[in-house]
Amino acid sequence: MSIVRRSAILALAAASLLPQALAARAAELNYLTWEGYAVDGFISKFEAASGCKVTASYVGSNDDFAAKLAAGGGVYDVITPSLDTVPMLRLAGFVAPIDTAKVEGFDGIYPEFSKESDVVADGETWAVPLIWGSVSLIYRPDKLAATPDSISVLFDPALKGKISLWDDKSALYWTARYLGYDNVFDLTDEQLEAVKAKLIEQKPLIRKYWASAGELTELMANQEVYVSNAWTGLTSKDVNNLKKGFEVVEFTPKEKAEGWMDSMMLVKDSPNEDCAYKFMSFMQSADGQCGLAEATGYFPVNPKAVQGCMSDALKKERQVDNVEFVKSLVMWQQPARLDKYLETWNAVKAAP
Amino acid sequence: MTLTRRTFPGFAALFSLPLAWVLLLMVVPYAIMVAVGFWTRQFPLFYPDFQFGNYAQILADPQYTTVILRTLKIAALVTVCALLLGYPLAYFLVFTIRSQKVRNLLYMSVIVPLWVSYLLRAYTWKIILGTDGALNSLLVSTGLVSAPLDIFLYNQTAMVVTLVYIFVPFMVMPLFTVLDNIPRRLLEASEDLGVGPFMTFWKVIFPLSLGGVVAGATMTFCLSFGDFVAPVLVGGPDGTMVANLLQTQFGAALNWPLGSALATLVLALVLILLQLSSRLDRAGRIDL
Repeated sequence: MSIVRRSAILALAAASLLPQALAARAAELNYLTWEGYAVDGFISKFEAASGCKVTASYVGSNDDFAAKLAAGGGVYDVITPSLDTVPMLRLAGFVAPIDTAKVEGFDGIYPEFSKESDVVADGETWAVPLIWGSVSLIYRPDKLAATPDSISVLFDPALKGKISLWDDKSALYWTARYLGYDNVFDLTDEQLEAVKAKLIEQKPLIRKYWASAGELTELMANQEVYVSNAWTGLTSKDVNNLKKGFEVVEFTPKEKAEGWMDSMMLVKDSPNEDCAYKFMSFMQSADGQCGLAEATGYFPVNPKAVQGCMSDALKKERQVDNVEFVKSLVMWQQPARLDKYLETWNAVKAAP
Repeated sequence: MTLTRRTFPGFAALFSLPLAWVLLLMVVPYAIMVAVGFWTRQFPLFYPDFQFGNYAQILADPQYTTVILRTLKIAALVTVCALLLGYPLAYFLVFTIRSQKVRNLLYMSVIVPLWVSYLLRAYTWKIILGTDGALNSLLVSTGLVSAPLDIFLYNQTAMVVTLVYIFVPFMVMPLFTVLDNIPRRLLEASEDLGVGPFMTFWKVIFPLSLGGVVAGATMTFCLSFGDFVAPVLVGGPDGTMVANLLQTQFGAALNWPLGSALATLVLALVLILLQLSSRLDRAGRIDL
């Protein structure tokens, strides 16, 4: 290895150590998560009980987790990627295995999630399931001529300029399903080309690709768009709560909705491991599971924890003790060729 | 002054800090950027290497040239619009306003928006141009249109409007300075010789102001060329600019090597443009 190269690596390493030195402070937890996952309600309960001060930062997509960790260690302690991103973070060496004995309530989690083959790898557990849910489609009933039942609504020329889509590689999954491919996480080159062509053809119909849940809520509330894919439960609730004089409705297309499960991962060499384990335990408690489920509209992963804090009606709505619901969804997986997928999505966005 | 043993301590005291600053925060980071441009991406990360694959990929895949050309187009449009708006404004301030007080006040009002956060100013355009926005409310309430139009926001026009608004002060500042420094006796001489106001402008004022035009245009062009906020806030699906591509490569794609190669190319492009503009500037210089 040449001197130049070695010193370049050293310089990068030194730059990445700097924030670590600055971050060594007393009981605190730096939480890198999704918007809406760190709302005051249950976070303040955790802070009061544990004495750990929570500082939350947010990502717009699953690809942001690795990017933020690559920019330097010691900044975050706990991250909450979806299951499809868990293996990549393990392979990149950004996270440490979890000592499940230190996570109270771990046994209450659906084994379908806690024993999942990406959660448990190399004989170790790498993630603590946190919450799960689906991505479905939302639309404005007052603006659509007919009740939609298919992904085709996202490609309807009649809705030109009123369609939005998540700025994420999952745009490929939706389009692949629309084109009738079942192997959405392992598309061939020809299939990816067809998906790309379809998405580029769709571009004139798109008003804006949304980058965060907040942005989609704004697009819907300001009547910029009438239809989009969206976090089931969250966006419709947020838009309808604004009482703008119209309503948005969710639906599951006949090509299926997508399912995801977010879990907590412990960042390697976290100086706040103590707080991290306290936090992961808290999130498996009634306060944590019900708090997050209420704030987001998503489904709890720990049916045992929510027994006492949810009404029966809510339990039914949030699929408590109905993990079978997973089978009706296309659960996210890490694409076999993640780089190729990202490159394809970037090519779509760059196209004129 | 030559550097002798006697003057060295003074020299070191005076210049070591700025030199260290330039070395640590400019030279070293650029060197790292150029070096990482030769590294290799391998899932899930990347490793040190020396190969030209990243450059080959950028040149072979049309997505990069498309975006670079689009960025050049947007930056050029912003520069032209800012010049068309900024020159008359600076001229008006310098030659039409007689009172020094009023002139300074108006000049300050051009500069003051720079004190407000860039993000806030860009975001404001979203509120103005949106479907439910201020512009549409005005049009509908005056009866000019029957229903709100969605042609104002989320397209390249909205990006140009926003960027022009944000960067126009950088055009006005140098223009104001050069116009203000033109000796009034030159204009009087031109008038005395019976030259009309338009020819006085064309033969005297404009050539003397070229330095300001070049400086303002260069600044406006470079600032808008590197912008990544306007595409995110007011741009539509066809609004991706070079800086957004860089953000993606260093972010979601986790491909620092490709991102560094792209950044190096962009840097080279901007350096060439600066070189051209400084030549233009020299060509426009007139000996008084």
